[in-house]
Amino acid sequence: MSAPATEDSRPAVAAPESLASLDLFALGRRAAAARDARWGGRGFFVRTRAEDAGTIVPFPFKLGEDDAERLARLAEIAAAASPPWGIMPAPVGEPFGLDTLRCFALCRLALPRVAHVLADVTTLGPRLAQMTFGFGADELYAPIVAERALRLGANSNNPALTRKEAITLLRGAGLSPCERMADGSLQEVAP
Amino acid sequence: MSFAAIRDKVRAAEPLSLEDGVALYEHPNFMEVGALANEVRERLHGDRTFFNRNMHINATNVCEASCMFCSFARLKVGDADAYTMTHEEAFGRLRARLAAKDEITEIHIVNGLHPGLPFDYYTELLAGLKRIQPSIHLKAFTAVEIFYFAKKFGMPVADVLAQLRAAGLDSLPGGGAEIFAPRVRKKICDDKCTGDEWLDVHRTAHRMGLRSNCTMLYGTIETLEERVDHMLRLRALQDETGGFQTFIPLAFHPDNNALMKLPGPTGTEDLRTYAVARLMLHNIPHIKAYWIMLGVKTAQTALWFGADDLDGTVQEERIYHMAGAETPQVMSPAEIVRIIRNAGRMPVERDTLYNVLAEGAALASDKPYRRDVRRSLEVVS
Repeated sequence: MSAPATEDSRPAVAAPESLASLDLFALGRRAAAARDARWGGRGFFVRTRAEDAGTIVPFPFKLGEDDAERLARLAEIAAAASPPWGIMPAPVGEPFGLDTLRCFALCRLALPRVAHVLADVTTLGPRLAQMTFGFGADELYAPIVAERALRLGANSNNPALTRKEAITLLRGAGLSPCERMADGSLQEVAP
Repeated sequence: MSFAAIRDKVRAAEPLSLEDGVALYEHPNFMEVGALANEVRERLHGDRTFFNRNMHINATNVCEASCMFCSFARLKVGDADAYTMTHEEAFGRLRARLAAKDEITEIHIVNGLHPGLPFDYYTELLAGLKRIQPSIHLKAFTAVEIFYFAKKFGMPVADVLAQLRAAGLDSLPGGGAEIFAPRVRKKICDDKCTGDEWLDVHRTAHRMGLRSNCTMLYGTIETLEERVDHMLRLRALQDETGGFQTFIPLAFHPDNNALMKLPGPTGTEDLRTYAVARLMLHNIPHIKAYWIMLGVKTAQTALWFGADDLDGTVQEERIYHMAGAETPQVMSPAEIVRIIRNAGRMPVERDTLYNVLAEGAALASDKPYRRDVRRSLEVVS
């Protein structure tokens, strides 16, 4: 590990006016750019979340909603006097791939005052969770364990990742892994 | 070669080189590679996304080969879980689908290399299925099986194919290619035919007028150069024969096999592989996201990263499920249509040879629909 980094307090890119009209790649590019403008290409993971960690608000979404409906609900969160520390899109029912990625991008772009968009491995699975980092997610939300049992039988949906797997997952998405320590400080993971 | 230079080559429809392919794999932003692949996908097919109604028959999992990545094979008759279907068992599976008014158009047949079955087991399997449903398309036996039959029964590959064709064979599936590089084959599938022998079976089939598919198993011990080299060798054969219809990247599943210590490919690696394949294989018309292996979520996303085909409804797939695949073993046509439409694409039901069977208004709702088989006129290639 290299020297600790600090939380970046630069404001995120403001939400564009008409997100709903953007195609998948345009939306993804904007969301990733907004994330990178704020976090400099870093992707976070946590082994032990600090007791005084900020509020994470789940954002339920389900198949059949359109972008406008989601943007209306996100606008309510954006207008809160005290925005949450992070938002975690939470699919209702089995998530579809592209619908989920679009939802992540909307969350990043419509909530410029919310610092973090979290990808929950429990609900998305590791593959889809990794893809969300191309669409504005910046933090992996998964149990980090010393040794993971094979995903077999009753354990087939085990969301746990080893620290090495979390780092591989973030690097594979093109991000620089950064570990959020129990005291809230950040540690860049050496290449 | 910079990404911009590769993009210029793609837009000018120039074939990409080995170095270009590796550069695409190593590009830091998988979204940019995906967007470029999507340009090619949409240039070829627009929003059209293909699927078919099919079933799988894996007639035996007894296999002489001991490939390290395989969770399906049982080496000997009598091993735990080893099975070999009688003809009646195999025929019964088709009859059950027909009795359920399931309008399948294709049976996909892939098996282990059983040392004890006579050649007429296979010819009678095909002939019996055709007797039950003469219009069914039999996509059967990988090049590895065909090569095994040739050696075991002492016949040239062309004769094996001719006899199977006379019994009902219509085309070949693409399995068994794995990675062509001898270094990799020696380590993971040493007792299987070589890459050159695999290609030669398909060359022979194409010259006889049979169409086939092709695959690549990725995520074991191969390098990025070896993946791209594999694609280039397929592309060269396609230049020669034009007989490949579809390329299917197959993600390694690490459970229940000798390579279970390997992590297996991640989601972005899957998407990147689909995108690189679309960009490298400009002369193969279709790239298939095989949902049963990839998982529905990733397969759906791949429809924006170069893929234009989701395979079919499938039933009783065993090979990937014994390797830990968590997907269901069957999807209804309505479910597939819904997945494609949710991806912002236009579903098109095809047959094995990409004749269009239904699209547009016929697939406009999630309700069951009836195909107009008389529309089977347009071949998409």
